[in-house]
Amino acid sequence: MTYEAVPGVVETREAFGETTLVVDPARLVEACTHLRDEEGFNLLSDIAAADYLGWGEQGVAGYIGTAAGRDLHEPGSQGLAHVPAPKPKRFSVSYHLLRVGDVPARVRVQVWLDDGEAVATLVPVWPAADWFEREAWDMVGVRFEGHPNLVRILMPDDWEGHPLRKDYPLGGEPVRFSGED
Amino acid sequence: MAERRPQLALKRELPLVSDRPLARAGLQSERVLWPERGPGVFEREVAEIEDALLLTTIDKAVAWARSGSVWPDTFGLACCAIEMMSIVSSRYDIARFGMERFSSSPRQADLLIVSGRVTHKMAPAIRQVYDQMLEPKWVIAMGACASSGGMFNNYTILQGVDKILPVDIHVPGCPPRPEALIEGIVRLHEKIRAGVPPAYEIRGVAE
Amino acid sequence: MTVVPSTRIYEGTRIPPRVPTILDVDPSKHDPGDILRVNFGPNHPSTHGVLRLIVDLDGEAIAGIEAVIGYLHTGFEKTMEQKSWWKSVTYPARIDYLGFHANELEYVLAIEKLLGIDVPRRATWARMALAELNRIHSHLVWLGTAALELGAISMFWYAFDDRDAVLDLFELAGGTRLHTRYVQAGGLAEDLPPGFTDEVRKFCAAMPKSVDEYETILDKQKIWLERTKGIGLLSADDALALGQSGPVLRASGVDWDLRKNMPYLAYDEVDFDVPVYANGDVYDRYKVHMDEMRESVRIVLQCCDRLDEMEGEPWIADDRKVVLPPRHELHTSMESLIYHFKIVTEGYRVPEGEVYVVIESPRGEAGCYLVSDGGARPWRVKFRAPSFAALQATATVVQGALVADMVAVAASLDFIMGDTDR
Repeated sequence: MTYEAVPGVVETREAFGETTLVVDPARLVEACTHLRDEEGFNLLSDIAAADYLGWGEQGVAGYIGTAAGRDLHEPGSQGLAHVPAPKPKRFSVSYHLLRVGDVPARVRVQVWLDDGEAVATLVPVWPAADWFEREAWDMVGVRFEGHPNLVRILMPDDWEGHPLRKDYPLGGEPVRFSGED
Repeated sequence: MAERRPQLALKRELPLVSDRPLARAGLQSERVLWPERGPGVFEREVAEIEDALLLTTIDKAVAWARSGSVWPDTFGLACCAIEMMSIVSSRYDIARFGMERFSSSPRQADLLIVSGRVTHKMAPAIRQVYDQMLEPKWVIAMGACASSGGMFNNYTILQGVDKILPVDIHVPGCPPRPEALIEGIVRLHEKIRAGVPPAYEIRGVAE
Repeated sequence: MTVVPSTRIYEGTRIPPRVPTILDVDPSKHDPGDILRVNFGPNHPSTHGVLRLIVDLDGEAIAGIEAVIGYLHTGFEKTMEQKSWWKSVTYPARIDYLGFHANELEYVLAIEKLLGIDVPRRATWARMALAELNRIHSHLVWLGTAALELGAISMFWYAFDDRDAVLDLFELAGGTRLHTRYVQAGGLAEDLPPGFTDEVRKFCAAMPKSVDEYETILDKQKIWLERTKGIGLLSADDALALGQSGPVLRASGVDWDLRKNMPYLAYDEVDFDVPVYANGDVYDRYKVHMDEMRESVRIVLQCCDRLDEMEGEPWIADDRKVVLPPRHELHTSMESLIYHFKIVTEGYRVPEGEVYVVIESPRGEAGCYLVSDGGARPWRVKFRAPSFAALQATATVVQGALVADMVAVAASLDFIMGDTDR
C-alpha cells in the first residue's frame, strides 16, 4: 500500500504490519482531507497523544540502573545492549484511520510537536475528532487550533496540569498499614 | 414436603464466643469472633457502644422493622454496579431481605451502596446524594475501590469513599461476588438489630 | 461491504454545525424563553453509570443537549505506565467492565504483536470462545437494563438469569465471574478445565431458545415498538463521520464487522453471519443485539468442537523469556529457575515499537495503541474506547426526540462509562 500521493508526508514507516505516515503539522488538514476523499479513509478510529520526555534515559534494563549509573553498552550488562533512538520532538499525536469499504485498511498519521506548539484541528474533516482532541488537550496538553470547544473533558474543569505528561506525578497516597501509627 | 423455617440472623445457633452485649445481640463482628485480638479503632468504638447499649423492647422492635426493609439507592458507579445489579436478579434475590425496591431518589433511600471507584470529580455529587438522604441512613462501601481506592492509587481516584462519607460496612472484593455483598448486607442487618447506631453517629470521615 | 443509501434514513447530515457533540437550541424552532435547562445525572435512574446530560427542554421536546463525562476517569493509562507488563494485564478488564475479556484481549494481542510471539492454537480458539461468551454476556446485560429503563421490567430478571449462566462458565474457566484476567501474553493463564466444553454446549443448547423468548416478549409489543421504532435515527454517513462502530453502525445499514472484514484470532475459520439492519433507529439496534447473540452461540459451538480436537495441546507459548516455566521444571533446570526469577522480579521486556490493535468488542471497535521503549513497563498505552465515540453521537441521534425517548436513545448507543472515561 503506497501513500505517495498524500501531501505533506515527511516519512513513511512500516513496522509490525502497520503503516505510519509522519506528516508535517502545517499540512495535516491537507493530508487528512486527501486521505479521506481520495484514499477513502472514512472513519477516524482514534487520536492518541504521547509524551516522550525522558525517552531512552532510563535504559533498557528497566528500573535497574539508569543512563547515569550503568553503561548499557558494557558487555554482560543486563538487557539488550541497545538504547532506543531519540524521538524528533517531545509530543507525538497519532491519528488512526480506518477505511470502511471493500478493501479494508488502516493507517496511522503522525505529527510531532514541541511543548507549546499547536496543530490544526481535524473536526471539519471528521466530526469524530471532537472529543478525541479534547481528551488529548486535557491529558497531554497539546493544543488544537480551531477546535470549537477545547475545554477539559475527563478531569474536573478547574484542574491544573496535564496528567499524562511524564513530568506529572502519578499522585495517590502512601499506603498505610494497620498496626503502625 | 418438609416445612422450612426461614433462618433469621439473630436466631442462628452458633456458640457464643463472648458474653459481651453485642455478641449476645447476635453481631458477628471480628471483635466478637476473635476476642483475643488487641484493640484497634473499631474495637474501641465497639467497646464504647457496648457499654452504652441498653436496648428496650421498643428499640428492638424499631430496629427489627428498620432492618427488614432497607431500601438501597441506585448508586452504581463501575464494575461493582454490575454485581450489585446481579443481587437483584433471581439467583441471588435480594427481595428476600425486603430490599428489591431500589430508589433513584435519595430522599426515599435508606442505604447507599457505593459500588465502584470514586473520582475526585464525582466526590461532590456523592456527598450531595448522601446529604439528601434522610436519617437513619447507612453506607456500604462495596468493593476494593470504594473501601480504599483499590488497585488505583493515583491522581484521580479518591482513596476510599470513607474520606467523604461515614461508612458502616466495607465489602472487600474486586468485584465482590454477589454472595459477598449479601454477606455485607446481612451483617448490616445484624448491626441494625443489635442496636449499633449508623456510622454518622459514631465516627466522622477518615483522614 | 454494502452500505444502504443513507437517504433512506434522513436527508443530509444531522451533525450539529458548531460543535459536533453539542446540540444548540435553534432559535427559529424554539423560543428561548420557553427553554428549561435540566441536568440529568451523574446519579440518575438509568442504569448506565455516571453520565451527565445537560438537556434544554422546550416542553417535552429536546431542544439542546450536551454530554458531560469524566466522572469515572480512573487514570488507567497513567497507572499502567508504572506497572510491569505482567501486572498491567489486570487493569484493562476494568475499563469496559461488561466486555472485560475484550479489553484484556486487545491489550494482550498488542503485547504479543510487539513481542512477535507465536500463540498456540488452543489458546487462540479458547480466547475466541470466551470472547463470544463475553459478547453474549454484554448483550444480555444491555438487553436487561435497556428494557428495564423502557418499562419492560421483567426482562431484567430473565436476561440476568441467563447472564448468571454465562458467568458460571467464566468462573469455571477463569476462577472468577467478572474480570477473569484469563489471558496472558503468550496464551491463556491456565488450561481450560476438563468438562468445560460440555458445560458450554449445555448452555448453548438453551441459549437460542432464550433469545427466542425475549423476542416473543418484545418484538411485537406495542409499547416497545412505539418507544423504539423511528426513534434515535442515525444515517450511515453520519455514523461513519462520528466514528461509530459495532451494533450502532450495523443498525444504520453499514455491513462492517471487524471479525469478518479484518479478522483476528481465528475468526476467518468459523462460519457466522453479520446482522445488518437499515433503519438506523433504536429498534434496529435492538434487533442487531439479539441476532448477534444467536451468531455468537454458533461461533461458540464451533469453537467447542475445535477445542475438543485440541485436547492436551499447550495453552501457552513456549517462550521462556516471556512465559513462566512450568513449576516442576524449577526443581531440575537451572535455566528455568533463572528465567522464572527474571520474569517475576523485573518482568519480561517487550521490544521497542508502537502498535495499534483493534478488535470487535461487544460495543464495537475497541483498540489498544501501545508504545514500548524496550523496557519492562509500557511507555504509553491508549485505549480506543467505542463508548467514547458512541457518546459523541448523542447530539445527532437525539434530535426530534422527546425527553422520554432520550433514555431509550442513550441506552441504544450501548455505552459503558468506565470505557468512556478510562
